Amino acid sequence: MGKDILRNLRKDFLVEFRSRFALNVSASFAAIVTIAISLTAGGVPFPANVQAIILWIIIFFSAMNGLSHIFVREEDQGTALFLRTAVDVDSVFVSKFIFNQAFMAVILAVVTPLYLFFLQVRVVHAAHFIFSIAAGGFSMAAATTILAAMVAKAGGKGSLFTIISFPILLPVLWISVSSTSAALNAAPPAGGSLLFLLAFSGFISVISFLLFRFIWLED
Amino acid sequence: MSTAPYSLTGEGLAKKFGRSALFKGICLSAATGESLSITGPNGSGKSTLMKILAGIQKPTAGNVDLVSGSSIEKTQWLSHIGYTGPLVNPYDELTGLENIAFAARPADAGEQAGRLLETFGLGPHRDKKVKHYSSGMKQRLKLILAFLNDPPVLMLDEPGMNLDSAGTALLHSYLESVRKEKIIIIATNDPLEEQLCGRTIKLG
Repeated sequence: MGKDILRNLRKDFLVEFRSRFALNVSASFAAIVTIAISLTAGGVPFPANVQAIILWIIIFFSAMNGLSHIFVREEDQGTALFLRTAVDVDSVFVSKFIFNQAFMAVILAVVTPLYLFFLQVRVVHAAHFIFSIAAGGFSMAAATTILAAMVAKAGGKGSLFTIISFPILLPVLWISVSSTSAALNAAPPAGGSLLFLLAFSGFISVISFLLFRFIWLED
Repeated sequence: MSTAPYSLTGEGLAKKFGRSALFKGICLSAATGESLSITGPNGSGKSTLMKILAGIQKPTAGNVDLVSGSSIEKTQWLSHIGYTGPLVNPYDELTGLENIAFAARPADAGEQAGRLLETFGLGPHRDKKVKHYSSGMKQRLKLILAFLNDPPVLMLDEPGMNLDSAGTALLHSYLESVRKEKIIIIATNDPLEEQLCGRTIKLG
């Protein structure tokens, strides 16, 4: 299984590196929205909770532009059946899950510094802020990997993915916003929200792994 | 992979899409050294039957069993089957060799890949991206991908599609050279490919 995962990951990174479609779209979206908000605000400082809400809205929509691509591309380009014949079902899920986590990490690495810079956000508790962003991003990528497979099989594209992801991601967004907001406030933040995000990620990852074969195998 | 002879059995196979029945009551069997062709008009269900036999799609009724000494778990079938067809497309952004490296399973698949690339005339094009291949070259690559891991069962859906006469001759001679060691099932409407096989199932 380990070799299958590595083979598929290597292939996915090569294909994505050569086309850079998903990454370019998501990074461009993140940059445009951040700059647009900064220009519209005209230097007026937002309260901490509003800053956290805007940050997570940007992250959410930037990620939605690219997280489904890993499965939608296989269906669009007609390579899904080749993938099925070459790699076993569990390895497909694990490798796509890892790819989406790496993709999310890149999105967070692009969005967060841009946001802090353009909106002149002051982070009070840096470590808590970094853990909130990382845990929220991890949960988002974990929950959307199986949804991407469902959307790809349904022949749906970007907007369907965003719509069906929203109710699943609502608790993640909610907790991530409150945890990020706490990191921007002077009061010392509690670690319970980070634990919730990690527990949610673990739960949804296991459920997704167990259910993926029913989506991936044709009827 | 097991060294015991393989046998593939399908009993009472039927497939329905909604209320419309594609086929029903199909029974077949093939063992190592035997070959079978599936023929029929367009839309008669040849590709669907091939997918069912490969364990890629579920039948509406009936069951398929792949045995080598003991029954093989369905999730493992594709590691014993070399499958190709019009819907099995390699990655356009990768080169021929990168596609082969992706599909290669055993440690000695590298040698086998080199041999197959030369046999099917893709040696000089191994480092070209597949999106720059002609349709005939893509078909040759698909065949290489199906033969790559030296699988004991070959399921080839329209294997001669887009091949020129040299490519067709290469395919026929390769199948002839391995027919005693494998189960070969071909879905085709080409009389020459049909003649390569010992028995024929006609659909539709």
